[in-house]
Amino acid sequence: MNSVGEACADMKREYDQCFSRWFAEKFLKADCSGDPCTDLFKRYQQGVQKAIKEKEIPIEGLEFMGHGKEKPE
Amino acid sequence: MRVWSSEHVFGHPWDTVIKAAMRKYPNPMNPSVVGVDVLERSVDSRGRLHSHRLLSTEWGLPGLVRAILGTSRTLTYIREHSIVDPVGKKMELCSTNITLTNWVSVSERLVYTPHPEDPGRTVLTQEAVITVKGISLGSYLESLMANTISSNAKKMGKEILQIYLPNITKPLTQQ
Repeated sequence: MNSVGEACADMKREYDQCFSRWFAEKFLKADCSGDPCTDLFKRYQQGVQKAIKEKEIPIEGLEFMGHGKEKPE
Repeated sequence: MRVWSSEHVFGHPWDTVIKAAMRKYPNPMNPSVVGVDVLERSVDSRGRLHSHRLLSTEWGLPGLVRAILGTSRTLTYIREHSIVDPVGKKMELCSTNITLTNWVSVSERLVYTPHPEDPGRTVLTQEAVITVKGISLGSYLESLMANTISSNAKKMGKEILQIYLPNITKPLTQQ
């Protein structure tokens, strides 16, 4: 699957694989131990954020570096 | 404005269906989704996973429709917010287009829950609201999009997840 930023396709793939593993093996089993994908997500996000700005895609109200942080409901 | 809704039952338990649903793109039955990116992800204080994603789609609008709209652009972007509750066993996705908003609004909501009478099955309820704004043939375009959504949903319900469900334990090699 492609990314909006062609340059971050590899980072996206690495992150997606990490997330899918964590999601199936930990999260769905209500295992609250740490999220191993945070660093991968940060690197992937840098590419996505750059592509969104370049393509002027109207995204509002998101903190792009947010991953795994606890947020209020 | 056009409202469309449907319900589908999968012959698999909720956990299995959710794992497949999270990996449903790309798929040959819905080639209009050409890109998926995660914008934000977090777990809230109730242990629910929130994901905000950006979907890049090619509508594949017929040439006549593009001429009516006066646009040669076919790539549009959709923003999706999903919430997965692993304890309550509910996954909800809401999506809406964030481009071409001057002439169309397409909002979809999908909810996956265990079948109330059989935990080995999963129910998907899906609804879409389509509004075309301020141009002639608005009703025609709304019908066209509703039919596309309905057709994709039928394929999604009956075929896509069936393709992915047997493979769900295989590692991701390409996505």
